[in-house]
Amino acid sequence: MDGAPKLARLLEHPAIWRGRGAARLKTLASGFAALDEWLPGGGWPRAGLIEILAARFGSGELYLLSPALAALTRAAAARWCVWVAPPLMPVAPALAAAGIALDRVAVVGGTRSLWAFEQVLGSGACDAALAWGGQPKPRELRRLQLAAERGRTLGVLFRPRRAARETSAAVLRLGLTPLAAGVRITLLKGRGAVRSTLELSWPPGTPGRTRG
Amino acid sequence: MLQRLALRAQAYTPRVSLEPPDGLLLEVKGSLHLFAGVAGLRLAVADECRHLGMPSVVAFAPTPRAALALARAGRPHAVLDLSALTGALAPLPLATLGWPEDILERLARSGVRTIGAVIRLPRAGFARRFGAAQLAALDALTGRTADLRDVVRARLRFRRRRELVCELENIEAILAALAPLLAELGTFLRARQCGALELECRLGHRHSPPTSCLMRLAAPAADAHRLGELLGERLAALTLPEPVSDCELRTDALVPYRPDCPHLWRPGEHGGGFSGEASGLIERLRARLGEEAIHGLTLLEGHRPEKAWSRTAPPAIECSRTPRRYEPARSHRRPLWLLPAPQSLAAEDGLPRRRGPLLLLGEPERIETGWWDGGEIARDYYTAADSHGVLLWVFREREAPHGWYLHGVFG
Repeated sequence: MDGAPKLARLLEHPAIWRGRGAARLKTLASGFAALDEWLPGGGWPRAGLIEILAARFGSGELYLLSPALAALTRAAAARWCVWVAPPLMPVAPALAAAGIALDRVAVVGGTRSLWAFEQVLGSGACDAALAWGGQPKPRELRRLQLAAERGRTLGVLFRPRRAARETSAAVLRLGLTPLAAGVRITLLKGRGAVRSTLELSWPPGTPGRTRG
Repeated sequence: MLQRLALRAQAYTPRVSLEPPDGLLLEVKGSLHLFAGVAGLRLAVADECRHLGMPSVVAFAPTPRAALALARAGRPHAVLDLSALTGALAPLPLATLGWPEDILERLARSGVRTIGAVIRLPRAGFARRFGAAQLAALDALTGRTADLRDVVRARLRFRRRRELVCELENIEAILAALAPLLAELGTFLRARQCGALELECRLGHRHSPPTSCLMRLAAPAADAHRLGELLGERLAALTLPEPVSDCELRTDALVPYRPDCPHLWRPGEHGGGFSGEASGLIERLRARLGEEAIHGLTLLEGHRPEKAWSRTAPPAIECSRTPRRYEPARSHRRPLWLLPAPQSLAAEDGLPRRRGPLLLLGEPERIETGWWDGGEIARDYYTAADSHGVLLWVFREREAPHGWYLHGVFG
């Protein structure tokens, strides 16, 4: 008798908890097929906090997110996409060129970025929120994560690479290193995932990213 | 003056209309029994006028124009029955009607000098000679047709002040002292189905000029609890020159308030609206971080990077809209980030450096001119990679001394 179907049926029992299977998150297509396949759950989590740890500002972190942001802001019942305390001014023409609907974008300025980020995440008025800076303590990260779940918002916190050593309540933590025409992504933490690395090359036409 | 009097007269009836230059009409049928009949009301109104130092004639009639004619004739009659109206009006001179001079003159030439004489004229002939409008005015006078009038409405505002028993310095204590005022404001707004768009809180001091705290709301609010929370945020950011001895709450003009009905769906789900959440968020951020805390972005028609976009008010809140088609980007190479102002770069052998040499990639893009608004530029923009692989947007001035500048970062 063949054991495999029997085993599969047995494993469907709700009391059995499996590592990979626990990642039954509602997800959002990232716009990169290779990335979707690699990310736990098959895309960005629809709600929750993710951390992107880049060695340097401008390692391609926004190009990684922009297809998903474009899809979110163009949906029929799109909520806002809020940028909290960006270190420089986001360029409206470039955002529009990336497909992001500007009538759904709001920018929150300067000081008290963590407080503002928590308000934005928990408000329920946003589909996505991006934040830079601040040095959140693990307890504050936990608050941010809870706020993101409460507001059903995808929160993205950009932090320096050295923050990888600290613990975090984020659903997903990725490390980013720029490559010549792509980016190396390291999965530092993910629900039901093991640490691994993906090298993603930018599709042709990414501004500034493809040569020649 | 008449306007002020009209507002005072609203104590007797909600339906007060102005009749410039000297008349004020009150619809009092419903109020008569409240003020002990005609005599009582006459006394009260006359008192009110005397108080303001104005001579008055108070006349009562079943139609507004008849009452006006009686009062202008200086006859303080009280005609309560429509059948007695014509008789009371008949001896009055025509001038009391306030009709145009030429019509009165033509009537006088034909020997018609009193209202009674006008009423006795044949209607058809009167209409032919003096116009249908005049006949309509006559009908309104005698009560043949209804006479609809515009009612004076007071601009609603809320203003309450409270002297404190002792001087307070602690924000919590001040908020507690404001709580009864806020509760009163909530009742006031609810009773009038109005919401406030602006709320001002003035904190008076013993010596210094009062500290004012103005709060602008993204949407009309009528909930005292929410207003209190926002005010608390605002006050916490305030520095007081001295302890507070009294406090006052004022609203600007009120607007009709439509309370949010709870949605069946949660925001963003099946097209459920999120207007309440969004305006709440805007207000919280503004209360803590200032008016400029949140803004939107929009595109401008401009080829220079600095002039191709601008800040706007926070995005409008629509419940649902048609999904946008994704228009593929035009092939222009713009970074996602722009520096507030170009930053000068060191150069070596004509090539820019920033923490090591920069590698220029691809062809330059020339962006020039702008003489019409004084922002003239002449630059060659390059994409450059630094030694860590971060892509930068740099430009070289076309004019001497050909300086290199960093202007943007690709995200």
